[in-house]
Amino acid sequence: MALKLTRSLLGALAMSTALIAASPSFAAGKLTVSLSQDPGSWDPVDTFLVAWATVATNIFDGLTYRGPDLKLVPGLAESWQVSDDGKKITFKLRQNVKFHDGEPFNADAVKFTFDRLLGDEGSKGPQKSNYAAIEKVEVVDPSTVDFILKSPDPVLLTKLAGYGAMIVPPNYIKEKGEDYFNTHPVGTGAFKFISYEPKIGVKLEANPDYWGGAPKISELDYKFITEPATAVAELQAGRVDIVVPPIIPISMVPTIKGDSRLELMSVPGPTVDALRFNTRDGITADVRVRKAIIMAVDRKTIVDAILAGQASEIVSFQSSLSLGYDPDLKGLPFDPEGAKKLLAEAGVKPGAPLQIDIRGNDATMNEVAQAVSSYLQAVGLTPTIKPYELNVLLNDIIPQGKTGALFQQKWGGWTFDYDNTAYSMYHSGEKWNPYEKDAELDKLLESQRPMTDAAQREKVLRQIAAYVNDKALELPLYNSNAIYGVNKRVKNFTPAPDNRIKLNEVTVD
Amino acid sequence: MIGFLTKRILQAIFTVLVVTLVVAFAIRLTGDPALISAQGGGTVTEADLQRIRVALGVDRPFYVQYLGFLKGLLTLDFGRSFVGGTPVSQLIGTALPATLTLAFASLFVSIVLSIPLGVKAATTRGKWPDQAIRIFSLIGLSFPNFWLATMLVLLFAIALQWLPPSGYDGFSSYIMPAVTMGLILTATNVRLVRTTMLDTLRSQYVMVARAKGLSETKVLYKHALRNCAIVLLTFLGVQFGGLLGGIVVVERVFNWPGMGTLAFDAVAARDYPVLQSVITVLSALIIGVNLLIDLAYGLIDPRIRTQ
Amino acid sequence: MANATTSGRLSRFKAMEFVVGILLFGTICLAVLFAPLLFPDGGTKIDLAARLTAPFQSFAHVLGTDPLGRDVLARVVTGGKVSLVVGFASVVGSIFVGVAMGLVAGYYRGAWDALLMRFVDVQLALPFILLAITFFAILGGSLVNTIVLLIVSQCVQYARLVRGSVLSLREREFILSARAIGVADRNIILRHLLPNLLGPVIVLATLNFANNILLESSLTFLGLGVDPTIPSWGGMLADARTYLQTAWWVSVFPGLAILLTVLGLNLLGDWLRDSLDPTGRTSR
Repeated sequence: MALKLTRSLLGALAMSTALIAASPSFAAGKLTVSLSQDPGSWDPVDTFLVAWATVATNIFDGLTYRGPDLKLVPGLAESWQVSDDGKKITFKLRQNVKFHDGEPFNADAVKFTFDRLLGDEGSKGPQKSNYAAIEKVEVVDPSTVDFILKSPDPVLLTKLAGYGAMIVPPNYIKEKGEDYFNTHPVGTGAFKFISYEPKIGVKLEANPDYWGGAPKISELDYKFITEPATAVAELQAGRVDIVVPPIIPISMVPTIKGDSRLELMSVPGPTVDALRFNTRDGITADVRVRKAIIMAVDRKTIVDAILAGQASEIVSFQSSLSLGYDPDLKGLPFDPEGAKKLLAEAGVKPGAPLQIDIRGNDATMNEVAQAVSSYLQAVGLTPTIKPYELNVLLNDIIPQGKTGALFQQKWGGWTFDYDNTAYSMYHSGEKWNPYEKDAELDKLLESQRPMTDAAQREKVLRQIAAYVNDKALELPLYNSNAIYGVNKRVKNFTPAPDNRIKLNEVTVD
Repeated sequence: MIGFLTKRILQAIFTVLVVTLVVAFAIRLTGDPALISAQGGGTVTEADLQRIRVALGVDRPFYVQYLGFLKGLLTLDFGRSFVGGTPVSQLIGTALPATLTLAFASLFVSIVLSIPLGVKAATTRGKWPDQAIRIFSLIGLSFPNFWLATMLVLLFAIALQWLPPSGYDGFSSYIMPAVTMGLILTATNVRLVRTTMLDTLRSQYVMVARAKGLSETKVLYKHALRNCAIVLLTFLGVQFGGLLGGIVVVERVFNWPGMGTLAFDAVAARDYPVLQSVITVLSALIIGVNLLIDLAYGLIDPRIRTQ
Repeated sequence: MANATTSGRLSRFKAMEFVVGILLFGTICLAVLFAPLLFPDGGTKIDLAARLTAPFQSFAHVLGTDPLGRDVLARVVTGGKVSLVVGFASVVGSIFVGVAMGLVAGYYRGAWDALLMRFVDVQLALPFILLAITFFAILGGSLVNTIVLLIVSQCVQYARLVRGSVLSLREREFILSARAIGVADRNIILRHLLPNLLGPVIVLATLNFANNILLESSLTFLGLGVDPTIPSWGGMLADARTYLQTAWWVSVFPGLAILLTVLGLNLLGDWLRDSLDPTGRTSR
C-alpha cells in the first residue's frame, strides 16, 4: 500500500515536472524486464539465444530492422539496391550516427563487423554459418558498402536485422580487446550499457542521441530469472514490469489475467514444437510405426485443453505466418484404431518401449508429453519420458544422435521463413539432423535457396513440407503464442513475436 | 596443544585434497564440455570440437589438468569459466557472500528462536508449553523446505505484498529465505537446547551452586547456557554442511545467486572450472568450520584434547 | 523439578507420540501398500476434459484433479510408493554398510579405523545436494540411483555411531573375558557387540527414513530425481509450482502427504529415542 502510494506520488511528480519542463525529449522512469537466461557474453557473434536478442536489440543495430509488425525497414542503412543476379547488395548508410563510445558509424565499421563475423572471431561462435552466403564486404565510400555474395540469399536482408549481423565498433574493440567487449558491449542502439552482474542482471541507460528517437525512459534494467513462478511473482509484486517469452508457462496465464494490475499480451509467434523421430534406431525406423504414432495422438484435444487458446495446431514444423506454410496441407487424422493396425502390420509387439526426450525446463511440454504418452499407451506402446538439461539436449544428445525414439524440437524460426527451419532440420549433415540422409530431400532444400522469386520458392517450400509429412519425419504439435506479462503502468508497448523489442517508444507511469 | 592443532590441520588439508580429487574426477565423467561450448548453430565438425577442447584445456591428460587446478588454488586462481570465459574467482566472489550471508542470517534466526523456546520448554517440562514446543519442533522438522518456501512466497510476497518474492537486493529480500531455513534449523536446535538445559539443571554442580544460595536466574543463565553454547557449537559444525546443502534448494526457489545456482548451472554447462572450484571452496569451508569448532571444543573442554 | 504430575504428563505425552506416530505412518504405509487395489490405474489416467477440478466437489475426485485431469488422491497415494521405497531401501542399505564399517573400524582399530575416519571426514565435507547433482549428471536420475546416492552419503552416520559404541564396549568386562576364553572375533562382534548397538542404530534409522523422504522429494523437485511419469510427491510438488494461485490443491495435498508421513516417522523415532535412552545422549 505504501509502495503504491509512493509510486503514484513519484509518477505525479514526474508528470508535472515534465509539463513544466515542456521538453519533448524528457525521459523519466525505469523499466525492469525479466529474462530467462544469462547469455554469458554480449558479443553478437557468440550466441543464438533469444534472451541475448531481447537485450541486444536495445544496444546494437543492424543494417536493416524488423519490428513487431514483421516488416523489414531501414536500420543503419537508409536504402539498398540488390543487383539483378542477386549476388551484390549495395547499402547506403545512415549519416551522423555515433557509437556509444563516440566513434562514428561508417562503412569501415560495417566492413569490420562482417570481416570479424566471417573470420576468426566468428569461427568461435555459432552465428557465422548463418551468414555464409556473404563472400566479402567492400567499402565504396564512407557511407556506401557493397555486399558481395557467393550465391543469392533471399533471406539475407532479414538476417541482417539481428544477431550476428549487428554492427560493432571497430576502434573500441581494437582498443579494449575482445574479452572486455564481451562484458562491456558498445553499439549504436537506443540504450547504453552500464553494468553487467553475471547471473543477476544487466543495466542500461538511455542514449539521448539515438538516431531513431531518444528513449522515453531513462533506465532499462534486465533481471535474470529462470524460474517461471518466480518471474510471475516478481511481476505481481511490481518489481518487474515486463516478463518476456518464453518464460510464462500456459499454466500461469489465468494468474496474470486474474490480476488487475497486470495485462497479458499474447501474439502469434514463430516458435513451434514437435516431437521428431529417431528414424535410424528402433521401431521408429519404420515409416508405418511413425505414422501410427502420429495417428494415435489427438493433437487437437491436447492443444485445446492444455494450451488453452495460447497456441495453435500445426501440420508442418512452421507457424502459419511463415513463408512456406500451406493451409491446405492435411496431416494424418486422429485414428487410434488405424494406428493399432499399422503397428501390428509393422510387427510391433504390444508393450513395446519408447523413450521420449524433452527439455527439462519446459513445463508446458512436460504436460503435453505426458498426454502424448497416455495416447501412445492406449495403442499398446509403453512410453517413458526423459527430461534433459537444455544445454545437454541441444548440444550433445540431439546433434550426436543419442536421442530416444522421439525427441522434442523447439524452433524459433525468427525469420518466419520455412527455409531456415527446413534446411537445419532435414538436410543431411546439419546439426539438427543426426539421423536422415535423404538425397531427394536434400536436392529440394538446396534448390530453393538461391531462388529470388518468392512465389517460386514458396512452391518448393510447400513441396518440402508435403514430403516431410509423407515420410512422417516428425509429430508436429503446436505453434505457441509469444506470451508477455506486462504491468499496466507500462504504456506504448508493442509485443513482438520474436522477442526483439526496441524499448525506446515505451513510457512508464 | 600444538600437537593436537597440527594433527587436525594436517587432517583437514588431506581431506580437502581428497575431495578435490574425487570431484575433479567425477565431473569429467559427465560429458564433453566442448560440445556444450560449441553451441553450433550450423554444423560443428570434429576439428572444431578439438579446437575448442584445446582452447578449454580439456585435451590434456587428467593429472595435468588436476595439478594445474591445484597450482592455481595456491594462488587463488580458479581458472576461467568455460561459458564466456569469466574468471571463476569473480563468479565465486559474488556467489559466496550471497550464500554465506544467507547461512548466517538463517543461523541467526534459528538461534534467536531456539534459545528462548528451548529454555521455556526445559523450565516448563511436562506442562503444555513444553508439549506445544515439542510438537511444533517436530512439525518443523517434517516440512519440506522448498514447499515451505513456496508457501511463504505465496503468502507474504503475492497475497500480502509485504516482501519481495525473490532476488538478492537489500535487507527485505533476506527475510523469507532466512526464515525458511531458520525455521527448519530451529526445529532441531530447540530440542538440543531443551535437552542440554534439562541435563544441566539436573547436574551436580548446579545443585551445588543452588545450595550456595545463588539466585535461580543466575544459576540458569550462567551455567546452563554455557553448556548449551557448547552443544550448539558442535551441532553447528555438523549442521553447517547440511545448511549449505539445504540452502541450495532454497536458492533455487528464491532466485538467490549463490553457490548452489552456480553449481547447478555449471553441471548443466559441463563447466569444469566453476564446478570444481565451487565444491572445493564449500568443502574447504565446511572442513575449516569443523576444525575451528573442534579447536574451540578442545579449548573449552580439556578432556577432548587427549582423544 | 519432576513430580508425580509431570511424570504422568510426560508418560502420557510419550504414549501419545507413539500412538499418533504409528497411526500416521501406519495409515500411510497401508494406503500405499493397497494403492494398486484402491486405484488400479495408478493415478495415470489422463482426462483432459476434467483438468483442474476443485477438491471436495464429487466422489470421483475427492481431492480434485491435476492439470492433466488425473485424480489427485490416486496420485498422492500411488506417489507414496516412491518415497517409501527410497526411504526404506536407503536406510536398510545404509545400516548394512555403515554398521559393518563401524564394527570393523571400532573393533580392529588401526588402519581400518584411520581409513574410516578419513572417509567420514570426506563425507561430511561434501554438501549432499552438490554430491547429488554431480552424481546424477554422470549417471542420470532414477530410483535406484537415488537410493545408492543416499546410502553412499549416509552410511557414515551409522559407522560413526557404531564405532563409538564399539570403542566403549570393547573394553568392558564381558568382552574382555570372551576374548580371554578364545571366542572367535566374528562371534564376539556378532553375538556380543551387535545386540547392544542396535538401539541407537534403530533410532537413527527411523529419523533418517524421515529425512530421506524429504531429501528424495527435494531432489525430484529440482528435477534430479525419478522419471516424471512416475507419480511421486516431489514430482507433484514441482509440477504444481505454477498452479499455486489457480489450483492450490495440486500442491497442498502432496505437500501434506510428505509432512504427515515424515511427522509420523519423527514421532516414532522420538518415542524410540526416549524409550531407549531417556537422558538424550544419543543424538543425530
